[in-house]
Amino acid sequence: MRKPRTTTAPAVLTLAVAATLLVGCSTGEPAVDPDAPVTITISNKPPAERAEELAAFEARVAEFEEANPNITVEATETVWDAQTFQALLAGGELPTTLVVPFTEPQAMIARGQVADITDELAEVGLTDLLNPAALTVAQDADGAVYGVPIDAYALGLVYNRALFEAAGLDPDVPPATWDEVQEFAARITEATGVAGYSQMTTGNTGGWMFSAITYAHGGTVQSADGTESTFDDAPAREQLERLHDMRWNDQSMGSNFLYDMASISQEFAAGRIGMFVGAPANYIFATLLNGMDPAEFGMGPMPQGPDAGGTMSGGAVQVVSPDATPEQQLAAVKWFAFSLEASTNEEKAVAAAKTSFEAGLPVGLPGLSSLKDDDYQRFLGWIEEYINVPLENFAPYTETVNTIELTPEPVAKAQEVYAALDSVVQAVLTDEGADIDALLADATRNVNALLSR
Amino acid sequence: MTTGTLLTPSTAPAPRRRGLRSWYRRGGLASIFFALPVILVFAYFSWGPIARGLTMSWQKTNLVDPASWVGWANFEYVLQNPLLGQAALNTVWFVVLGLLIGFPLPLFLAVFISELRGTKPIYSVLSYLPVVIPPVVAILLWKVFYDASPTGVFNTILGWVGIGPLPFLNSPTMAMPSLVLESTWASAGSTVIIYLAAMASVRGELYEAAELDGAGIWRKIWSITLPQLRGVILIVLLLQIIGTTQVFAEPFLFTGGGPNNATTTILLLIFNYAFVFGDYGAASALSALLAAVLAVVSIVYFWATRRWSDA
Repeated sequence: MRKPRTTTAPAVLTLAVAATLLVGCSTGEPAVDPDAPVTITISNKPPAERAEELAAFEARVAEFEEANPNITVEATETVWDAQTFQALLAGGELPTTLVVPFTEPQAMIARGQVADITDELAEVGLTDLLNPAALTVAQDADGAVYGVPIDAYALGLVYNRALFEAAGLDPDVPPATWDEVQEFAARITEATGVAGYSQMTTGNTGGWMFSAITYAHGGTVQSADGTESTFDDAPAREQLERLHDMRWNDQSMGSNFLYDMASISQEFAAGRIGMFVGAPANYIFATLLNGMDPAEFGMGPMPQGPDAGGTMSGGAVQVVSPDATPEQQLAAVKWFAFSLEASTNEEKAVAAAKTSFEAGLPVGLPGLSSLKDDDYQRFLGWIEEYINVPLENFAPYTETVNTIELTPEPVAKAQEVYAALDSVVQAVLTDEGADIDALLADATRNVNALLSR
Repeated sequence: MTTGTLLTPSTAPAPRRRGLRSWYRRGGLASIFFALPVILVFAYFSWGPIARGLTMSWQKTNLVDPASWVGWANFEYVLQNPLLGQAALNTVWFVVLGLLIGFPLPLFLAVFISELRGTKPIYSVLSYLPVVIPPVVAILLWKVFYDASPTGVFNTILGWVGIGPLPFLNSPTMAMPSLVLESTWASAGSTVIIYLAAMASVRGELYEAAELDGAGIWRKIWSITLPQLRGVILIVLLLQIIGTTQVFAEPFLFTGGGPNNATTTILLLIFNYAFVFGDYGAASALSALLAAVLAVVSIVYFWATRRWSDA
């Protein structure tokens, strides 16, 4: 075989790389040049079928690139998914930024799978803007911040106004207690034959719902430090007995019990479910994705048990990949700040609302803002004329969402705890002779073993 | 396979010293080059991941930092999971049901189809069609059919003959048989084709001799077809056992583990370890254990059936 021609290029390249590495080492602190050219990959680009959303998204990206000429943004349709995240991480294919649900950041921080962006947030000036209560979900024990919360919400009761009317109930007065939920469900089933009340039970949503309703009964699921399970007590027992009652005595829960977020939204949009516990985002699932008439969609606060305990908060957090370079981290945080500008800058807020409105997307969906409350009210005032979500239907929910007691999701291994609790709820709904005490005792044992690993 | 012809001293190959050169001249190097792509592909996509997986079962890794060695900790963790016993039981139950329902059926179909004259190709195609449908599509289709409300497809059909609406996937006892039913429907076709091909090789004189002795069709099947197909049946049985032990798509898509873990299988546990809990060490450990169990089962199987597999 002939010897390859030697060129000077590889040698020069190696020297250059070595030089930069050495320079980096010698200064002791990585010198992050805020104007250095950098490319970042962002996630959650809307797919091609959602053309209007995609157009709005691309417009925002173009605007960001114009404001920051040194940053090139590539968008991917990658979304966070429990099943693909690990594989993406292993393959080094994670986008620079990712949107993950509230249950994930603590686990990811513990596993070292997200980047620490405390310094970058301070540099960009975001730390002052954000609601400190909202930040805790992405902070570790020392207060270092690993993500920016967006789309926060509190769980409430989603109901079908048309079915309420058909059952002779006032659609503006959703049930406020679980006794009322049971009564209303029975009446809906009697009048219309469909399931009056349904609950998500599979894919970890069973445990999620169980935990939220336990909160509403004044109980907790996990100790504050995340080392012990605390759900083997009266609040949990009460809710499971009522569920059992509704399923087997009242028969107001229909005949299908294996639901996750997507399938329950489908059934609900088809008018086959009267009520279920959900989030404002279900409005998007039901109307945009499953063609439900927005006028039929209603939402109220989480029904309370005798020892009212409030409801569970949830949401999404924007995080940065652990593989990102310091320059990329800074660019990513600038992107987060830019996204938030749509809520803090009047012109941008109005422009964004207008684009979404013209694209037929929901504007003004109620929720919890990651901003401080005054800023949020100011934002709502700006976009008022573009709000196309029937806010009257959400009135019972919005009236209480800022005053109801909010408890965040369990801190330690939330997804695993939920998975273990899925079977408790499924057992109650599919096995008439289910022994609730034994189920709770077993689940406590299993979860404690999990938490101690 | 005949092992009768042994090498005798007079037919021994040439001494080694000259062997290498004559091997080269006979085109030995070319055969290596032909084999190289296949070997490389297998090494990269098959053997490499297996070796990597085995290594990971003794490590703790978060896929970002270098992994750390933890000895047998993953195996201990996996074995003391209270769900493992239930999952193992469910998997065995799925295998047993699969054998009960899914093993005789292709045999009967193959015998039936082979007895037909002109319409044989049509029925062969029809029986193979379910195999062509992508598994996920088939499962999602059946999930709609299994709707437990009285207006579900199967419940409507059962209603015509007066059988009440059945809960199907929503009942802990009915969920697994429902899964097996769909699984059998989806895979029976390929086994039917294999049996049909094997049956074509059975010598016709045997059937004629049996007919002369006055044997009816069932007697012919029992005394001639089945014994002649013995080798194929034994292999298919072992492959089915190994395949159904690794069932994942049906529990995952139909029930996500089933009402109260009634359809949680070992593969589903492995999947949850790896992708829901991010614990690759535990997932690899359980996979290694499963592979070891299946290897032992295969060895025992071959030893137990050694008498029957000789032609």
